[in-house]
Amino acid sequence: MKVLRQRSWSFWRLTVQSASFALLISIPLLNFYLNFNFIQGWYQSLSFGDLWFVSPLEGLERILITRSIYGPLLVGMLIPVVLALLCGRVFCGWICPIHYLSDLTERVTGAITRSKHTKDRWLLPRQILWVALIGELFLSLVVGAPIFVFMSPPGLVGRELMRLVFFHALALEVFIIVGVVGMTLITRRFYCRYLCPLGGLLALIGHRRKLRVVVNPNSCIHCNKCDNSCPLGLKPQQGEGEYSQCWNCGTCVDVCPQESLSYRWRGWSSGEQYGQK
Amino acid sequence: MSFSPGRRTFLRSTLLGMLLAPATAAARRRYAYPVATNVLRPPGAVTEEHFAATCIRCGRCVEICPYLCIKPLDIRSGVNAGSPIIEIENIPCYLCMKCVEVCPTGALRRIPQAQTRMGVAVVDRYTCVSWKDKILCRTCYSVCPFMDKAIRLQEFKPVIDERHCTGCGICTHACPVPRQQGGKAVNVEPIYAREFTLPEEAQQIGGAV
Repeated sequence: MKVLRQRSWSFWRLTVQSASFALLISIPLLNFYLNFNFIQGWYQSLSFGDLWFVSPLEGLERILITRSIYGPLLVGMLIPVVLALLCGRVFCGWICPIHYLSDLTERVTGAITRSKHTKDRWLLPRQILWVALIGELFLSLVVGAPIFVFMSPPGLVGRELMRLVFFHALALEVFIIVGVVGMTLITRRFYCRYLCPLGGLLALIGHRRKLRVVVNPNSCIHCNKCDNSCPLGLKPQQGEGEYSQCWNCGTCVDVCPQESLSYRWRGWSSGEQYGQK
Repeated sequence: MSFSPGRRTFLRSTLLGMLLAPATAAARRRYAYPVATNVLRPPGAVTEEHFAATCIRCGRCVEICPYLCIKPLDIRSGVNAGSPIIEIENIPCYLCMKCVEVCPTGALRRIPQAQTRMGVAVVDRYTCVSWKDKILCRTCYSVCPFMDKAIRLQEFKPVIDERHCTGCGICTHACPVPRQQGGKAVNVEPIYAREFTLPEEAQQIGGAV
């Protein structure tokens, strides 16, 4: 732990995000130029040899709409679901290319405007995320085709990179990515906060997750730095780091001058860490 | 309670209908199956009724295809955006069966090579030079991977046997009849895309959707 704490969580998060994005770029290059098929796909389905991952929401939509179950699909969904059960929306915070691109956009605009991060101009209740999840599933069942499967921004990033490498062209879907990333200029991570059904599903699965950001009220000096830094607009100072929407990115843990905020690994029944709650 | 629409209601609803008609037409186009003559799904695909729902557009079939014949559709195909398609006139399917191995959702079922049914080749006897001009062209017969089974020669004229034709499109790709003369003389019709009924010889595929 000592070694880890010498670097900030943001450093590790950016490293993981960059590595994930580099993986996303390298997969089509390896497949196309070297015929190296050991690693394949992107965040809708990823394979390392015989180890397959399937995105939980895509798999759920496919099961709901076709009303049939396919073995490899369930096995592929297992690891992401277990990860979400333990760590919540950690995919969104640490891996998702949309968060990564939004992060980069914010850094660029922050460097231009010399502000730390963009303002939240348009706030909605955070429960909109559940509406997005239920509405998306409902709409998919009405339409009879899984909506998120062909419009999912994290998947589209991978698909467009693959199209660029394989066919040297981009499709119109790029504008969806640009729009979703551009939303972060209105409100930080507007799409991830309110609209992403995959984030909603992961938040729902990780509702009773073990890894949480916990505040120590004894050392907190109420400087509001964490509240201002949270990309999702949560207030870790008031214990909102334990909300299911939190994606464990660790930004608030970094900015805390008193080190009152920390990651905690907790049991299923939320234990008393600091004698509060 | 009686409903008596006035002129204003009538005009308003007419206008709304005129605005909605192109929208519904566009929506219907978005739903249209992308398969057509010589435009097929990869081997082992479930029927079109289920394909858009079953495929999660992970693109792994596109990435593994060694011949680059599988392409992902884009957003103009509506609900089928991102799903795989093979345009056999450009690059046919060589039935390496790698794509069915990697499909994680069962949209491409794991079937043996000979039981692939992407469509059925149809010889156009009005444009085929062997039928029309009595020329000894047997290109489709020579390139067919199931020679003497799927394509036989009947008095030096090609004849398709639908019990063995996989619809791979190698014959269409090789057919020398130029497109200016009304297209290829042998084309693959995706007859299994709507209803998956197999000839008796190949019916042991079985399986649900």
